Amino acid sequence: MSEFALEVEKLVKVYAPRGKPAIRAVDGLSFSVPRGIIFGLLGPNGAGKSTLLRMLTTLTQPSEGSARVLGFDVVRKALEVRRRIASVIQETAAELFLSVRDNFLTYAKFHGLERTTALRRSAAVMETFQLTEEADRKVQDLSGGFRRRVQVAKVFLAETPVLFLDEYSTGMDAILKRQVMSLLRAETQKGRTVILTTQVLSEAEELCDDILILNKGKQVARGDLNTLKLLSQGVYEVAMTFDRLPEGIEADLQALVPLRYSVDQNTIEIAFKAEEARVLEMVSELARNRRVVHVEVRGASLEDIFVELMQGREAQ
Amino acid sequence: MSALGAVFYRESKIRATNVTFIFWDLFYPLCYMLVFGVGVNSALGSPFAAAGVDYNAFFLAGVLGMASFGIASNTSWSFFLDRDNGIFYEMLTYPLSRSEYLLGKVLFNVLIAILQAAITLLLSRLLFHLPVRWELLPLLLLGMAVGTAGWFFFYAIFALRTRRNDVFNAITSIFYFVFLFASSMFYPLEPLPAWFRGAALANPITWQIDWLRYMSIGLGDFHRIAWEALAFVGFAGAAFWGAVYCLQRQE
Repeated sequence: MSEFALEVEKLVKVYAPRGKPAIRAVDGLSFSVPRGIIFGLLGPNGAGKSTLLRMLTTLTQPSEGSARVLGFDVVRKALEVRRRIASVIQETAAELFLSVRDNFLTYAKFHGLERTTALRRSAAVMETFQLTEEADRKVQDLSGGFRRRVQVAKVFLAETPVLFLDEYSTGMDAILKRQVMSLLRAETQKGRTVILTTQVLSEAEELCDDILILNKGKQVARGDLNTLKLLSQGVYEVAMTFDRLPEGIEADLQALVPLRYSVDQNTIEIAFKAEEARVLEMVSELARNRRVVHVEVRGASLEDIFVELMQGREAQ
Repeated sequence: MSALGAVFYRESKIRATNVTFIFWDLFYPLCYMLVFGVGVNSALGSPFAAAGVDYNAFFLAGVLGMASFGIASNTSWSFFLDRDNGIFYEMLTYPLSRSEYLLGKVLFNVLIAILQAAITLLLSRLLFHLPVRWELLPLLLLGMAVGTAGWFFFYAIFALRTRRNDVFNAITSIFYFVFLFASSMFYPLEPLPAWFRGAALANPITWQIDWLRYMSIGLGDFHRIAWEALAFVGFAGAAFWGAVYCLQRQE
């Protein structure tokens, strides 16, 4: 069996809607992903993340190139691929006419789990996802957030070696999101590989061992967080909290030509690209004749890198 | 086999936990027989009265065919529900082939059709004392099974190719009207104008109903019915191929 969870070679997906120009949703991607890690696919809307995932999960066929999951070709050995994956698609997907418990039992049946194992694991995931009280309710009677929970919880029932999660955290509250992140970490400790897409960059920053940034179907950057941060050397984020919001602060911030800034009550957040010494000067300038309660200076976040890369692409 | 079993399990769970589905599938055609069949029999009589076949007996095969047709249509509509719920696309990533998905989906509904046929036959015997040919029951049930599967595959082609629910509903309404009325479901074909008779003879539901009629009350020309049955099997096979083709193209 292949040492890689994913191997993608010159993968292309072209959509050709009738009467409209063809769209290259994925445009010549090549990469591989080792087993047992959390791999993040990032990119703006329309970057090709979901299309890529749809090809890797055998939902749609590539126009050109090839992709293998655990060594199995997604077109020629689609069924073998499906036996080894569990996926959460971007859209909320659940059996609306079935109860929460029956959703799990049905899913377990598809993955060949014995009934006793299915019942035991269902009880466990319902507990984790706080669904125990809803076990006998039909999913159509649940809110969108709970439906999403049912959908995501299912993938923890089967022990498929590869998990695909397309924006799994949509509609989840912060506490549950944290729990799922811990669960995903635990799954990789057991050797499972997690491939996820997300729009929440802080989530990717915290969770992913390896990240591929896409734009317009092409690779923009690839690597772990530290490698990506090297792409954005010299970007700093400064957060300052004042005793009260100083007059004219917005004009001062704009004068610094920042990458971005925000003002929230007494706190300002600003990101800019500069030499380290110049950053301290800027902080001093902003603090002059003002009472500062708190100051925090950080290196570039994934969001900064992402924005810079995207803006760079647009400029090109 | 386990994949087929899983789809069967899913379908049975959905039906078993929703009483309205069960009622619709099991009793709707029966109600048709009780109201329409009794009405026509009393008011207009039977075209085969001289041969001792009343309208209720003649219409029995029509009711069975209608059940088969209706169950197939309802099941294919479930593609829309699954697509709206998102589960359709998720299921396509489950460990099963797309043809297993189709076959599994139809298996439970074939069972429902057979159950429906058994209830209808039993009640028609008890309520109307119809002369059911019990010795041909297995062949009648075979006709129900192949018929339901064939019609499901046929409808599935349209359900999979159509994106909008209202368009699909319009298609099924037209089919309902054309297929059911231009057939031997409600009346014998012999007195009809030549063009109408030709259309009805080319209608697969006529082939299925003629089979069901012969196997239920022994009415009809077996030689012709045997050819019609072969044609229906061909129709069902082509529909299966078409449905699998359309399902393969879903993305």
